[in-house]
Amino acid sequence: MTKLLEIREKVKEIYSRYETFFIPLVKFVLALVVFSRLNGALGYMARLDSTPLVLILSLMCSFLPTGCMVLFAAVISLLHMYALGWEVALVGLCLYVVMFLMFFRLSNREAALVLITPLLCAMKIPYIVPIAAGLLCAPTSFIPVACGLAVYYWFQVIGNSASTLGTMGDDALSRLRFIIDGLVQNKALIVVVAAFSITILVVYLIRRLSIDFAWTIAMVVGAIVNVFVLLIGDLKFDINISIWGALGGSLLALAVAKVIEFFRFCVDYSRTEQVQFEDDEYYYYVKAVPKMTVAAPEKTVKKINAKNLRTRERSPLEVFSGKTGSGSKTGRRGSRTMTIGSVGEAYEDSYDPYEEESYGETYGDEAYQDEYVSRRRDTYADESYGDETYDETYDELYDEDDYDEDGEE
Amino acid sequence: MLNEKRVILMTRLASYEEGEGRKNISIGNYFRGDYLTLQILKSIVCSTISFFIVFGMYILYNFETFMQDLYKMDLIAFAQSVLKYYCITVVAYAVIVYVVGTVRYVHAKKNLQRYYKNLKVLKSLYQSGESGEGEA
Repeated sequence: MTKLLEIREKVKEIYSRYETFFIPLVKFVLALVVFSRLNGALGYMARLDSTPLVLILSLMCSFLPTGCMVLFAAVISLLHMYALGWEVALVGLCLYVVMFLMFFRLSNREAALVLITPLLCAMKIPYIVPIAAGLLCAPTSFIPVACGLAVYYWFQVIGNSASTLGTMGDDALSRLRFIIDGLVQNKALIVVVAAFSITILVVYLIRRLSIDFAWTIAMVVGAIVNVFVLLIGDLKFDINISIWGALGGSLLALAVAKVIEFFRFCVDYSRTEQVQFEDDEYYYYVKAVPKMTVAAPEKTVKKINAKNLRTRERSPLEVFSGKTGSGSKTGRRGSRTMTIGSVGEAYEDSYDPYEEESYGETYGDEAYQDEYVSRRRDTYADESYGDETYDETYDELYDEDDYDEDGEE
Repeated sequence: MLNEKRVILMTRLASYEEGEGRKNISIGNYFRGDYLTLQILKSIVCSTISFFIVFGMYILYNFETFMQDLYKMDLIAFAQSVLKYYCITVVAYAVIVYVVGTVRYVHAKKNLQRYYKNLKVLKSLYQSGESGEGEA
């Protein structure tokens, strides 16, 4: 376990160090896969199915917000639909507009789910989506997931109807009716949307409970509920969902969810502390579960200098400025280790706390690591203002008695 | 001298401002009633557009039947039923938006309270730092 935790710390460190490049890269790869799969699944407009165009669009998406990726994907799919028939494009446009106006605007933060859901459905691993969304996202994430499922089944309807539409002649109303029938009478869509939505809500509610192993219970119960609802839907509507596929997919989803849990919510329940205290107005019953953390192994290179007995490694900043550093502070907060090294008064002015660089400082026999700036994002990610964990660190750092409690200005 | 508490607090504040804070600040500019009214107005517009899109598709789907029965059907009763469905759609959607808006507003206000509190703490840290330097 220690080795795994070390690897996790290493991965986090690498991620935070290269975050600037990593996020655009992930967006680029996602856009590339989405657009390629879209061209592969529809592909009725040959001009869109060109690698340079896909690459250019993916590059644009790598630095634009995720919503733009959704927009590009919608436009590409509509153009493909138009190539198949204007009736198909009209129904597709209406579907997209209604989804945007009614649902998507309520939960636009998880825009990527609209893309990832149909993508994973096409890759035959859709059962990861509801469990991962329940664990990581807000309960409203069932809306983009449902939209993504609607898009996936809409593409299936188009794919299944394409050959029939070609033989239907020029009767636009018949073609339109045929397409709408395919979408409205798709019972599988209703069952899968219901199963995924219920799963997301169940997983979210359980993982928020103050019980031991809440995340593990949430993912297991979520997987069972998902399969159960799919089974009922299959029996009721006879939609031919592969039960073995659902079971296998759910097991895979559990494995992925455990990996997510390891990176996001790795706590040691054996060291849980239940504390009770009071102030003038309230009694507090606090359950504190420590996180499992280990310090990432560091390599320290010592320079042996015959003239100076004290061995010291100079930071890049020092080398650049030609000044010497002194002193450091080490703070340990809860289970999180946060080490803040002061670089000394001599070059305090040149120190930019927001600069995304880190540097090691060895002074005498003690090694200090100033990784505060490079790790600030992952350290404080858990302490966001919407998260309850913030309070404990806040109270620990700042004695409440010292400050005015008025709150809002 | 670098102040550890100050740096932690500033980082936290900056992180909040870059992310969720931007949206929360825009929500916090409204009174609760104004914010919810605006959201409900938007929801009425969106649900009206959506309803008429779906209604248009319904008419297109049943176009031939409508053309055949246009002179036989009771148009007033038909209009009343359409109006009934429209009202149900708009009201149901407005209720959902109201609930979501209320939750968001309360959440944003709570976060903003913490944010302003932290700004106050930061200010006091600066003031204590300055007075310490002045005494020295």
